[in-house]
Amino acid sequence: MTKDQIIDVIKQNIVDNLDDVEYDQIDPQKTMKDYGANSLDMIEVVSCSMRELNIKIPRTELADIKNIDELADKFKEYADGN
Amino acid sequence: MANILDFSLADFFYNDNSDVLSPPDDFEEWISHPRVLESFRFFEQQFLEAPRTDSRVLSGVDGEKRKVINLTSYNYLGLSTHPEVIQATKDALDRYGLSASGAPLLSGTFDLHIKLAKKLAEFKLQEDCILYSSGLGGNMGAMQGILRKGDFLVLDEKSHKSLVDGGTLAGAKMLFFDHNDMESLEQMLEKTKGKRVLVAVEGVYSMDGDLVKLPEVSALCEAYNAGLYVDEAHSTLMFGENGRGIGEHFGIEEKVGVSFGTLSKAFGGVGGFVCSNAKLIRYLKGYSSPWNFSCAPSPAVVGGLIKALEVATRDSTLRDRLWKNVRYLTEGLRAMNLNLGGTESQVIPIIIGSSGETLMQLASEIQQRGLFLQPVDFPAVPAHSRRFRISGSAQLTKEEMDKALNIIEDVIAKKLHSSS
Repeated sequence: MTKDQIIDVIKQNIVDNLDDVEYDQIDPQKTMKDYGANSLDMIEVVSCSMRELNIKIPRTELADIKNIDELADKFKEYADGN
Repeated sequence: MANILDFSLADFFYNDNSDVLSPPDDFEEWISHPRVLESFRFFEQQFLEAPRTDSRVLSGVDGEKRKVINLTSYNYLGLSTHPEVIQATKDALDRYGLSASGAPLLSGTFDLHIKLAKKLAEFKLQEDCILYSSGLGGNMGAMQGILRKGDFLVLDEKSHKSLVDGGTLAGAKMLFFDHNDMESLEQMLEKTKGKRVLVAVEGVYSMDGDLVKLPEVSALCEAYNAGLYVDEAHSTLMFGENGRGIGEHFGIEEKVGVSFGTLSKAFGGVGGFVCSNAKLIRYLKGYSSPWNFSCAPSPAVVGGLIKALEVATRDSTLRDRLWKNVRYLTEGLRAMNLNLGGTESQVIPIIIGSSGETLMQLASEIQQRGLFLQPVDFPAVPAHSRRFRISGSAQLTKEEMDKALNIIEDVIAKKLHSSS
């Protein structure tokens, strides 16, 4: 799976879980917080994306991730390992 | 699973098992691993005596029955085991029985419940009070009773789960501001301008022991026309000249819209209470499910709580003793150069760092030395600041504190200093 495909999965889950966010307006260099996500929303987006990608990453490894792009890199690392 | 020890309870909330009555397959694999089981030995250990500072436990660590100094109990003022409180509880038990045997709206309200609610409202300088059978139920019930879909709940990021769960149940949109950061709070209030907004903060934050910046929070609430809800679970009966809590401590009780407290911490019983204006309390009684769909608090416990309030507020003896002990403990711990975070209260964290393994190893050793001090692991606290959390108590004697400090120095301080 390519990184772009992973970013698409994350973006779709952001749209599904947050109010008033359009798919095309999401910039991977930004954080979910920039789109109005609270910590519970972020857990929801991350968990739904991981289920879809069939990967499981410990939450402790996600603590320092700064934006959507870095999240995609981390997901790719695990998806490639599967 | 890649590295089983990297996982925590935070990772198994979502369940894909096709059998709805089974946990996730990988949860079973994780929780059955010997190293994970080792961490869980600290949970649900059985106490064999009352929650005094001098108690006995059936140790989960090695299965031994052991005398311990208990620094983890919420019995901050010793009221749970106070002779006058025990006698009042017995008297209420004899007269009213064990259970209220009904929901408050129908047959579960006794004269004792009315008396306690009235006394709590007077104590908190509010018009009225509603009693809940649990503290968690009180916070959840207040949020669910006050907020509706479309409303905003603005919370400090370190707020208790009961507030978050209440917000979820209410269907309110939740925004979390950075802990005690007024700039961050103002940003949230700017975003929600013109909406119905409730700001919820805690008097004393339960994992860090620091205090809310109440004057600043209150000023922002006023400026943005937001309601102010203060959870005083860890501050009522301890803070303020008369023990009325953090509002009294800062001299701005009249600014607090809703004051919540638990009856299970300093009060020494069980339950929760919410004080506010009479109209809001009347409204909550119509819509707050943990009140109108739950059995009322046990009359025996309520009898004890009325006495507990009297004992705690007739003079400052217990409060003074608590703060004297807290000062002694804090000074002793600071002298060991331990990281106590930003504590300003009877809740004193000893921050160990990021190693869960070190935390559990130290927890095991201190318990075997006779100190009951529970480890607090991720996700309850951030992964880089796993910790022990001391609950200071008025019950502690100087001998007990010296013994506890010696164990902490021998086990925790030595280990941390040698590894740094």
